Amino acid sequence: MAKTTKMKCPDCGIDMNHHADKVDYSVEPSSDDLELGGALQEVHYCPGCGRTAMRLAS
Amino acid sequence: MNLMSQNRPIFIPVILGTPRQGRFSEHVARFVLGEAAKLKGVETELIDIREIGFSTTDAGEAIKDPRFSDAVMRADGLIIVAPEYNHGYPGLLKHALDSNLKEYIHKAVGICGVSAGPFGGTRVVENMLPVMRELGLVTIFWDGNFSSVQKAFDETGALLDESYVRRIDKFLKELIWMAKVLRYGRENVSLE
Repeated sequence: MAKTTKMKCPDCGIDMNHHADKVDYSVEPSSDDLELGGALQEVHYCPGCGRTAMRLAS
Repeated sequence: MNLMSQNRPIFIPVILGTPRQGRFSEHVARFVLGEAAKLKGVETELIDIREIGFSTTDAGEAIKDPRFSDAVMRADGLIIVAPEYNHGYPGLLKHALDSNLKEYIHKAVGICGVSAGPFGGTRVVENMLPVMRELGLVTIFWDGNFSSVQKAFDETGALLDESYVRRIDKFLKELIWMAKVLRYGRENVSLE
């Protein structure tokens, strides 16, 4: 399930848009994501500067 | 609609995907780069994987190159120039692509296949499609297919077959359309 708080751009400080979820195989999965083989990451995009950031989905 | 990014040009770098000496793919990459640079509202630059110097004793995020990752992060789309080696893609190209993840998600990609034979790198393009999908890139339905590449350019890299100009124009227009649509989506269309 997605976090409810908007992620802030580390560069601009403005709200980012959560536009995708992606399995990241370089990160150990949580107990909820064992069947995925990696950690589920939220992908966020900054409409101001074009930066992309990820955070673990909860 | 978010209007904040409308003043930012669409950025589409060209990745030259082979480190080999005597590579004809460099002529292709420089030609495509030149055609892309002519388009209004488009910025581009050449990323030569030979110049990056990736370590081959590790992989993924562990070998991340800041210049390469920053360029992909800033990109709205990518053009990958990939020669066909024994029906596959160069190992170093895959190694380089695997060093990023979040930088690719929901961005457009167009592939230019290069071959010495008559099939224009169609097999390397097909082989790359599942990789593109897993990286989170969105492929377009036009490819660049450079057949008998040693005859398409002279030794200085000058184009000998002008029919490529029209074909690459179609490829670039489709890629730019997709890049614009996906930028809009990344900015405005939420999963929630």
